[in-house]
Amino acid sequence: MAAFKIKKKRLKELIDSLTKEYRVFIPVESDGVSSFKEVTSDSHLPTINSHNTDRPPKEIFFPQTETLFTYKEGKISPPEQPNTKYRTPNTDKIAIFGASPCDVKSFSLLDRLFGMERNVAKCSGYKDAYWINRRTNALIFTIGCNYPLSTCFCNWLNGGPFTKEGSDLLLTDIGEDFLVEPCSQNGEEFIKTKGLPIQKAAKVDIKRASTVRKEAESTLSEPVDITSLKEGLDTLWDNPVWNEIAYKCLSCAACSYLCPTCYCFDIQDERAGNARGKRIRVWDSCMFSLFTKEASGHNPRPSSKERMRQRIMHKFNYFVENLGDFGCVGCGRCIRSCPVNMDIREVINTIKNVKLTISNEK
Amino acid sequence: MMRSLENELKECARKLLTEKKVDLIIGYSKSPLPLRSTPCFIREEKDVDSLIFDLTCSNNLATYLQKSKCAEHRKPNTDPTVRMENRCKIGIIAKACDARSIVQLILEKQVKKEDITVIGIACTGILDLKKVSDRLNGKEILNYNPQDDEVLFEGKDFKKALKLSDILCDSCKTCLNPDPSVYDSFIGEPVSGAKTEKQEPMTELENLSFGERWEYFEHEISKCIRCYACRNACPLCYCEECVVDRTNPQWFGKSTEFSDTFTFHITRMLDTAGRCVGCGACIRACPTHVDLAPLGIKIEKEIKERFGYTAGLSLDATPPMATFNEDDKEEFIM
Repeated sequence: MAAFKIKKKRLKELIDSLTKEYRVFIPVESDGVSSFKEVTSDSHLPTINSHNTDRPPKEIFFPQTETLFTYKEGKISPPEQPNTKYRTPNTDKIAIFGASPCDVKSFSLLDRLFGMERNVAKCSGYKDAYWINRRTNALIFTIGCNYPLSTCFCNWLNGGPFTKEGSDLLLTDIGEDFLVEPCSQNGEEFIKTKGLPIQKAAKVDIKRASTVRKEAESTLSEPVDITSLKEGLDTLWDNPVWNEIAYKCLSCAACSYLCPTCYCFDIQDERAGNARGKRIRVWDSCMFSLFTKEASGHNPRPSSKERMRQRIMHKFNYFVENLGDFGCVGCGRCIRSCPVNMDIREVINTIKNVKLTISNEK
Repeated sequence: MMRSLENELKECARKLLTEKKVDLIIGYSKSPLPLRSTPCFIREEKDVDSLIFDLTCSNNLATYLQKSKCAEHRKPNTDPTVRMENRCKIGIIAKACDARSIVQLILEKQVKKEDITVIGIACTGILDLKKVSDRLNGKEILNYNPQDDEVLFEGKDFKKALKLSDILCDSCKTCLNPDPSVYDSFIGEPVSGAKTEKQEPMTELENLSFGERWEYFEHEISKCIRCYACRNACPLCYCEECVVDRTNPQWFGKSTEFSDTFTFHITRMLDTAGRCVGCGACIRACPTHVDLAPLGIKIEKEIKERFGYTAGLSLDATPPMATFNEDDKEEFIM
């Protein structure tokens, strides 16, 4: 596919032209936390850090709170649109500018779960209208990571700082310009839009991009082989290792709420007076003691041990079983955000070692 | 100097374990991230060497004394010769604020004094990672090196020294009681007499108008994602069922609707009134930097003025919320 380039100075023009057709989300930093915000008339340029944001862009397609419907005296109506942060779930097309390759991969993983047609080997068979409505026709501009963080481990999970899975266009920072490579049909078509501030890339630009990528890839630590992790976990359900892993966990949801692939949710009715209210879908976390607590009072996951097992099993066993890939993209946010510094890479290594010990004993 | 402090610490921990005075030591060990440490749980002498203590030991370990947290580790050693009673004896490394939290937990009958061996440690403050990050424009730090009143930070393409006083947590900079109030052993030299920059805790909230105060609350609380890291990192948030987790009746909505989030935070602040030791663990735990310290400081001041009480300073005190005094001010009751 042909490659193009855009002057960094002209990014604003590109984003402005996108806003004519799309609701555009860009990475912005506020109060020391970077997250994706919608471009409004007075908003500024994207904050490009050359690594992933503190909060993942997952919430654009899967907001923390989704009003499913409102009810009043027996009558049900669709949610009132303009009041919510992510309004119009089924009309406006969404464009994301500046997502990291790991986060874009997470969209592909969640596509399998939420039922987007993507020619994948395994999918859940469930179709989630909310996800599909926002995802359909969404245009994803990925910016590769020139400077992956020390917490990044995308390379353990078939990813890398410049992988294209899920992207429509991949941008590489090559100094004064971004190299722009369309990597899907949508991306190809977008690049044909008249009046874009882009030009054909020269050979030297492509060469520079390739150098940048190699350099970025070389800064990642040697990947740990996790190909047989799923099979290993199959044998570890009752293993005491879960105590060892979970003991310092405080059971908060910093890890799962900042995870690009965690999708557990709860359905709640919020009453607003007599016979009035709304039904919402709201993020939930397997780390909470309330997670899957039953109406009888019985809790199948009463302590942090069972809940930690759930989190690890879900990502590295059930996800593989049901959707054909690991439910983790190696973004490292859970490592950075954990108040007690739980490191999922260490957890994986601990599990691998337990498995090794067991198979050696046999 | 840090080295010898750590050696002293390890020696003390080793002694407690060999003499079977404790079954378990809760302390800090190194983490894979350069500016972080991680809580560790040591049962065997051979693991004592992993203990560390430095500027990154930011967790308030007293939180692990709660019944609900770390239940497995609190189980007594199964070897009956080790302990006669059916309780686990815990040695815990405590900075001044951690020790104050332990005092509160003892006063509030959450733990028994005789089950706890407090290893008090001299603390001159903990790094505020947000301040460091702000001063280095968010660049990733790969190595750091403390030198007297400066810390040298190194990353991929930079080296920068920052003044220690600029990058300590606010709660450390304004700490009025830097030495543990209660301890069984003490590691290092007391800091009280040392020359550290001390200032009265800021009471900036008092100087704001009602409108400005509301703006401040709105600004801080709207950052909250309801992950409850603050509550779960807090040693004094130990309710067996937190009011936000009640389902029958359900008092709180689960979304990030401002009124629910606001009520959660204000309820937590009021619930810890007169008990909060101002350690700042909640602020350090927050992934989105919600900081309600000014309110906590204001409440602490109010409690001191009204009841003459500062949380966690003495095992003989009676917590103001656990007693009634005829002289208690009640001018706010109509």
